[in-house]
Amino acid sequence: MTAQIELKNIDKHYGAFHALKNVSLSIAKGSFVALVGPSGCGKSTLLRSIAGLETITSGDLHIAGKEMTGVPPRHRDIAMVFQSYALYPHMTVEENLTYSLRLHGVGKAEAKAKAAEVAATTGLSALLSRYPRQLSGGQRQRVAMGRAIIRNPKAFLFDEPLSNLDAALRVQMRKEIRALHDRLGATSVYVTHDQIEAMTMADWVVVMRDGIIEQQGRPLDLYDQPVNRFVAGFIGSPAMNFVDGVISEDGRGVVVGAGDRIPLARQAEPNRKVVAGVRPENLRVAEGAASFHFEVGNVESTGSATYLTSKDGALQLVQTERLGFSVGDRVGLDIDPALVHLFDPQSGARI
Amino acid sequence: MRRFLASLRDGVGFDILLVGAAMVFLVAMAGLPLIYNVLMSFQQVDMFTLGSLIRPWAGFQNYIDVVREPAFWLVTKNTFIFVFFSMGGQFIIGFALALFFAQNFPGASTIRGLFLVSWVMPGLVVGAIWSWILAGDFGVLNTILKGLGIIQSNVFWKSDPAFSIWAVVIANIWLGLAFNMLLLSVGLAAIPRDLYEAAELDGANAFQRFWTITLPMMRSTIGAVLSLGLIGTLQQFDLFPAITEGGPANTSTVAQYWSWQMSFQLYDFAKGATISVMMLVLVLIASIIYVRSTRHEVRG
Repeated sequence: MTAQIELKNIDKHYGAFHALKNVSLSIAKGSFVALVGPSGCGKSTLLRSIAGLETITSGDLHIAGKEMTGVPPRHRDIAMVFQSYALYPHMTVEENLTYSLRLHGVGKAEAKAKAAEVAATTGLSALLSRYPRQLSGGQRQRVAMGRAIIRNPKAFLFDEPLSNLDAALRVQMRKEIRALHDRLGATSVYVTHDQIEAMTMADWVVVMRDGIIEQQGRPLDLYDQPVNRFVAGFIGSPAMNFVDGVISEDGRGVVVGAGDRIPLARQAEPNRKVVAGVRPENLRVAEGAASFHFEVGNVESTGSATYLTSKDGALQLVQTERLGFSVGDRVGLDIDPALVHLFDPQSGARI
Repeated sequence: MRRFLASLRDGVGFDILLVGAAMVFLVAMAGLPLIYNVLMSFQQVDMFTLGSLIRPWAGFQNYIDVVREPAFWLVTKNTFIFVFFSMGGQFIIGFALALFFAQNFPGASTIRGLFLVSWVMPGLVVGAIWSWILAGDFGVLNTILKGLGIIQSNVFWKSDPAFSIWAVVIANIWLGLAFNMLLLSVGLAAIPRDLYEAAELDGANAFQRFWTITLPMMRSTIGAVLSLGLIGTLQQFDLFPAITEGGPANTSTVAQYWSWQMSFQLYDFAKGATISVMMLVLVLIASIIYVRSTRHEVRG
């Protein structure tokens, strides 16, 4: 795999604020990479740096093998879909689509044909003569995508493109964007704060926090092997449970309370203080002897799943069967020892 | 009666009361004088009938007389020069300044605020200062131009028939600049930043961004600035008595100053009223064009 976008030791300062700290990232040609993290983590800044809308304080940026660090955006041959869509309000859909072609001196007939072609793939054929204000949110989203596609750029950048859509449309557009990416064989970088979007759409996920990359990898690898407590808590919904405890004398379990212990599949350093991480969907209601217990504080049933939250709010449990528990019940729990994660209480790093 | 009082407190009556107060004020202070002015332009007015409302009907005789005045075509030409070049100068320099201050450099908004000083100053004071600047024998402008080697001998801006109208145009451009810049700045600030970013990524250079994004997005603001500019320029009076008094030989007299001279120096109120009605028609036509152009206004 050749790298389509290569970032080396990127630093970005806004005055005293250090937005990107020595970020290095290689984005393979044809891949769909998601940058994900809480707000203020630097993911949008990183994306805008790739586009050239922000200047990099130090570091190197290569796009398709060419040095692009100081090159203005219009010479980078990159398309971006903005959160606000940034459609030109005074132009029709067709004019929005063909704007870049007209700037590059493409003839009227050719631009029109290209617009018709793109409109067909994005389902906009009937809307070409409308103005953006006459379109629904989903249709505007499609125009923004069509405007990016029509140029056949070196990479597509998406800056939280779905956050202005309602939930149902968001799920649909997720699939459409991914399908479009596959059909075009494009390279895409997708910024989102929604880990579900990142997990479902991307084939490479980059988790960021405070201007650094915490972990990057394939979505399921991040889910299965988070390198630290932050990534473990960020990936997965509902979020992973964290329980403070101490490794037992025999090193085969985490003692979390009187008589309660979470089993481990491997030998750990005895008497060490740890944080045990267990995913809500990996917890099971014990049929026989339970390894640990919790007191039900809240029950939510969606029909397909039951969510139980402990009285102290520290533990959450998801089961796909319908459970007849009510508030105040004491429930025995069990877990596959192989699915227990251990983290250092101070550094948060995976043990 | 009680229902009427109740609706005054919390109903349609209260709305009508508020609108009514404004309407009464408008009709009394603007509507009636306007109608009286139009009426007067169709009457024979002299010093003896000044106090009466009903006077001998003159038909279009006043209009014919005004057009036959020897100064009419000179004043018309001067008015067009004054309006066109004042507005053009104010708009182009104002737009350039607005674009300049839209760049976020340190102190941009503070310095922009200082420009408002010109707007706060009374026209007569501005006129007096420009009168000194433009003075033929001791004026600063001549000194600068001579120092730069642009002119060899003094230009008598105010008393040379070839320059007198331009002396007032220069002063008026300075006076209206801040207003134009401010309105255009507001319009510029209302254009979302991401449109420029999208255009930049689409490959537009700075000139193309101005031409394809800024100008079309500013359309309604520009319409408003130009129509307000037209009204402001046709209202501009103070600079004339302060700088040229319309001279020499009417070469810097414009319609509004001429109308005032007719009414209040020559006491020919009918002609004064007639000239102002002619100006009113011009403004009306411009307003209609403006309203029609903003009807298709683009809202994001």
